[in-house]
Amino acid sequence: MKKKLVGFFSILVSLSLVLAGCAAPGASTSETIKIGLQAPLTGDFAAEGQWAQQSVEVAAELLNKKGGVLGKQIEIVVVDDASNPKDSALAAQKVIAQGLQQVIASYGSSVTAPAADLYDANKVVSVGYGCTAVRLTMDKQRPYFFRTAGRDDTQSEFFVKFATETLGAKRIAIMHDNQDYGKGVADDAMKFMQPKIDAGEVEIVYFDAITPGESDYSTVVSQIKSLNPDVWFYTAYYSEAALLLKQARDAGVTSIFVGNNSVPTPEFEKIAGVAAIKDSIHLNEPMPQFLAYPESKEFLDAYKAKYNELPGSIWAVYAADALNALAAAITKAGSTDPDQVTSAMRSMTDAKGITGPLLFTDRGDRKDIPYYAYVYNDQGVLELYSK
Amino acid sequence: MDMLLEQLINGLAIGSFYALVAIGYSMVYGVMKLINFAHGDLFTLGSYLGYTLLVVGSGWITSTFGVWGGVVVAVLGAMLGAGAAGLLLERVAYSPVYKAGRLPLVVSALGASIFISNGIMAVWGPRFQAYPVESIPTGSIMLFGDIRITTLKLVTILVSLALMAIIYFVVERTLFGSAVRASALDREAATIMGIDFRKIILFVFFVGPALGGLAGVFAGLNYNRIIFNLGWGYGLKAFTAVILGGIGNIPGAMLGGLLLGMMEALFEGFVSGAWKNVFVFVILIVILIVRPTGIIGEKIAEKV
Amino acid sequence: MSDITRNILERIGRLQAGRDTASNTRRLRIFLSVLVVFMLVFPFLPFVNNYWVDVGFLVGIYALLGLSLNIILGEVGLFNLGQAAFYAIGAYTTAILYNQFNIPILLLLPISALVAGGFAYLVASPIIHLRGDYLCIVTIGIGEIVRITALNNPFGLTNGANGITGIGNPNFGLFAIRTPTQFYYYIWIIVALVILGLINLQKSRVGRAWNYIREDEIAAEANGIDVRHYKLIAFVLGTALAGIAGNIYGSKFMIISPSNFTFMESCLLFVIVLLGGLGSIPGNLLGAAIVVIFPEIFRQFASYRLLFFGAALVIMMVFRPEGILPRRRERGGFNGLGISKIPKDEDALLARAVENAATIAPAQAAAPAPVTARGGGRLSDGSFVLETQHVNMQFGGLMAVSQFDLKVREGQITSLIGPNGAGKTTLFNVITGIYHPSSGKVIFAGEDITSLKPHQIISRGIARTFQNIRLFPSLTCIENVMSGAHCHAHSGLFPSIFHAPGQQREERRILDLASYRLHQVGLWEYRNELAKNLPYGKQKVLEIARALASGPKLLVLDEPSSGLNDAETEELMGLLNKLLAEGFTLLLIEHDMNVVMGISDSVTVMEMGSKVAEDLPDKIYNNPKVIEAYLGKEE
Repeated sequence: MKKKLVGFFSILVSLSLVLAGCAAPGASTSETIKIGLQAPLTGDFAAEGQWAQQSVEVAAELLNKKGGVLGKQIEIVVVDDASNPKDSALAAQKVIAQGLQQVIASYGSSVTAPAADLYDANKVVSVGYGCTAVRLTMDKQRPYFFRTAGRDDTQSEFFVKFATETLGAKRIAIMHDNQDYGKGVADDAMKFMQPKIDAGEVEIVYFDAITPGESDYSTVVSQIKSLNPDVWFYTAYYSEAALLLKQARDAGVTSIFVGNNSVPTPEFEKIAGVAAIKDSIHLNEPMPQFLAYPESKEFLDAYKAKYNELPGSIWAVYAADALNALAAAITKAGSTDPDQVTSAMRSMTDAKGITGPLLFTDRGDRKDIPYYAYVYNDQGVLELYSK
Repeated sequence: MDMLLEQLINGLAIGSFYALVAIGYSMVYGVMKLINFAHGDLFTLGSYLGYTLLVVGSGWITSTFGVWGGVVVAVLGAMLGAGAAGLLLERVAYSPVYKAGRLPLVVSALGASIFISNGIMAVWGPRFQAYPVESIPTGSIMLFGDIRITTLKLVTILVSLALMAIIYFVVERTLFGSAVRASALDREAATIMGIDFRKIILFVFFVGPALGGLAGVFAGLNYNRIIFNLGWGYGLKAFTAVILGGIGNIPGAMLGGLLLGMMEALFEGFVSGAWKNVFVFVILIVILIVRPTGIIGEKIAEKV
Repeated sequence: MSDITRNILERIGRLQAGRDTASNTRRLRIFLSVLVVFMLVFPFLPFVNNYWVDVGFLVGIYALLGLSLNIILGEVGLFNLGQAAFYAIGAYTTAILYNQFNIPILLLLPISALVAGGFAYLVASPIIHLRGDYLCIVTIGIGEIVRITALNNPFGLTNGANGITGIGNPNFGLFAIRTPTQFYYYIWIIVALVILGLINLQKSRVGRAWNYIREDEIAAEANGIDVRHYKLIAFVLGTALAGIAGNIYGSKFMIISPSNFTFMESCLLFVIVLLGGLGSIPGNLLGAAIVVIFPEIFRQFASYRLLFFGAALVIMMVFRPEGILPRRRERGGFNGLGISKIPKDEDALLARAVENAATIAPAQAAAPAPVTARGGGRLSDGSFVLETQHVNMQFGGLMAVSQFDLKVREGQITSLIGPNGAGKTTLFNVITGIYHPSSGKVIFAGEDITSLKPHQIISRGIARTFQNIRLFPSLTCIENVMSGAHCHAHSGLFPSIFHAPGQQREERRILDLASYRLHQVGLWEYRNELAKNLPYGKQKVLEIARALASGPKLLVLDEPSSGLNDAETEELMGLLNKLLAEGFTLLLIEHDMNVVMGISDSVTVMEMGSKVAEDLPDKIYNNPKVIEAYLGKEE
């Protein structure tokens, strides 16, 4: 019996050694600065996670080519959060356990929130790239949290102005998908619309959710058709947007379709087809292909050279910019110490990113994100909207 | 009134997909007493097979047989493929587990479902795929004055109704059909009466998935967008439809599917989209409280 | 001795040999203590960082959730694919009450359990009777209803898809549970307490009742288990535990949203229970560990992870459908029944039981009719213990029983005969409450029992056996017989959880009674063997022992001799005569005319649902109407 016990313990010990090998921080050479990237590599938004990883790696290569940060090379450590809050908390623990002090995290607001809390409690600087809910920065102060993406309300405010002033719409339909992001944009749009509704200038003829993941949206399409609004704003993701738009045009709906910043993607174009997307309008921060800064061109060229395509979404580019912001702040602080890096983040004035100047408010929001309206032309190519 | 009619037609279209998928569920349940969770994934498989046939050789099939000819080829190919997959599934995952009882069978079905959908992801990738525009029939016609419906959708509805009629006829009116029903009622007695149970199993595991595969291709053609977990939602709704109508009972599956589609359309169209699925499940529960074996499920006194 | 019997005896021999060496138990004990020590020091092991401690915490949460579903699915066999709904309700109850009223998290722990269990009671009451797959879809539906409702943010309570943030930490006065290590111990202490309670519960009248239902619902009901009541207890208890898990999850991650409570989550819990083995607590823990750790380790193979997982599930079910660590009832002997203060030697226990037979199994009625009077007696002798009055039983257009008057005299053997399909079994089902007659009355010992349920009827004193054996196949013989005694015992949920002294006394009494009855029918040596491993003839007798354990006045046997060979039939007749001598009244359906003529006091003949004749056996033998019913009318 004793022999067996010894055997059991030796298995236990060797198992722990193996696990230790997996979990302990890898032999950290002082020549590199390690920065984490928490992204949904699996799960519903796996494509976004993979784009983010590709973009961040390209950005890191560009930085390293220029001599790195503080004379050290940057090394990206990727952890998967599977796009769900529980795995996100685990992923954050993993990053913290590895002793990283800066991390890019993450895609999706309710996924980012639990991780951001953990990072904050453990003094790890985290920069979000695909999380736009207002509450992340506004319902409490997280001193170590920043984001390179804009906020939902910026977009919603832009929509209200665009729809009522540029398009002169009187009857508006707002449709969301009852998820974190789409519902947030829709609610904010409603909020900014309220004064105009009260003044009787605008009527919201439809405000409801569709069920994401279905294929047949003819029921809501029929509703839109009978309501015939001037503008039909869909606030959630591209795949349902593509189905809605295609089915609406097939059914003869003529209302102007307005999509948000996660709609115009290659998938959207492929699923809906040129005939359907023609003349549809999309509100966006500058799209990757329209970015005109020298930094953008450099990044996009490098990306294209490596992957032979453009980043699939703007969020991936924001992830790259999260790295650029961290690099700039570390350079400015002259150290990777989290407290010094956060104060550098807040006081940067001249950091340039792929998506424009990298400036942050005290609460960690990105300053001055411009919004534009884009429209698909007859060939199904995006152009800047002009009346 | 027009709106009501339009929504009913929408519901009919949605419901005919549910019904096609539901028939496969119900057939398998009837003879195996198994909820075939993988059935929805065979639907997805059919959809991907049709997609592959249509894109292979940059649309060779469509350019050779014409748009509608291409559709026919894709549908037949997908039916064969999904049917064959159904047979394989039964051989590998169900037949060896059958004697172990109901619960292991359910877990095996869950496992098979996860395996098939992730296998599809491994082969075709995790992103959305779109059926090629050139291969999709175009054109639409006006019904009842001002309701515009695409020709394809009309064909979809008619084909599924026709298939349902054929299946109904085969199962309810032919000798082979009565063998299937007899096996569903009492496997042992049916075997004693000389019914080749193996043959019945092969039949249901080929025809059910084949119908699912057909529905998958039509879903791809109608909605363009396919993804590896497409069948999950259809599977769940079809299963709901089966229970609603009365499980193991083919007309019940059809009725349940059509009814479910129309209830969804009416509720979403006139009340609320956000609460649609809550409504569906509440109705289901209420119906089961009133009629514990579904709308046209017969009350079967368990043999004691 | 037939091959089958020899085979079984060999198996029993092997099993007992395995038990006697006791090395199995010792090895198990050592393994368990090593495991417990490992888990105790886990957070302080050198390679374990906060990440692994959190993984350990999650294993604990899933273990708790697995245990919660195990009560419903594993113990009772209810297909519940919506357990995540109750987990969600616990979490949302905690989050909402904490944020709105600032109630301490620890106080919310029992409140969450109550709300989740209470909600479960409300939704389950009208649907708990549904058959397996119907219940399955309904629970899926409940899962979706709860999730979508949370998404839709009713009354601004759930904050929609964003979920609720800012849930506090549990604290005991000034000491708050905050770090991963503290949470690790917190969850595992709770899991340990739950396990202790569940082990006691498994080994009690309540736990056995659950298992009887899982094994055969109709047999359970007929043996005195109030099926609806016990299903509801399991459902409420299981969901309340899920509510506790929701509370702990919320207080640990401080944020909950509907995406935590999807259908996949329910499926995962289902898999935990089945992977480990139905009703097996160690299996459950292992299942939880696999489900949590497997994906963490294989994160590198992200896109193929689920592919392997799916394949593994199928392979597992093909080669080991009972789960990885199934509960082995046959190994524990009487020790495994969890009853304290019983003799170590099971034969000594039996000897004591037989000695006290008169007190534990009192004679049923007044003295039986003298043997000489039987067979030759007159029909008016004795009083009727059971009477059916004008009973009609209609199925659709078919009149299975029509205007039937059956009379059973106390202390006699009455036989009901008739051709196949005459409606005999249907009449038995009417008498024992499985069917309720379309019209007519059933009077038993002066009481109208027409509308009672089977479990009430057995407690009034009618016990039965079934035409097609309905034992509880995966339970041991002694457990099968103990079910008969269920209806005269009273210990409820809480005495069973704590194995209270009164409950233990009652259990000892039940065990004595069951041992005595098992011995009486000659199956004592099979006491720890699973019922399904017995040969057919012995299974029939076991069913009689089970019925006897309820101490009935009237024993209703449906074709007791069918499938028995001559020797077994002979033994059976001996047994029936002994029972009669003990004071039981017997009602049989029988086809074997030797049995009917050999032991009956009176015979009733049934054909096409109607009574053809009622007479003494030898008179029946020559009754032209009876001959016609059996052989057809002579042309």
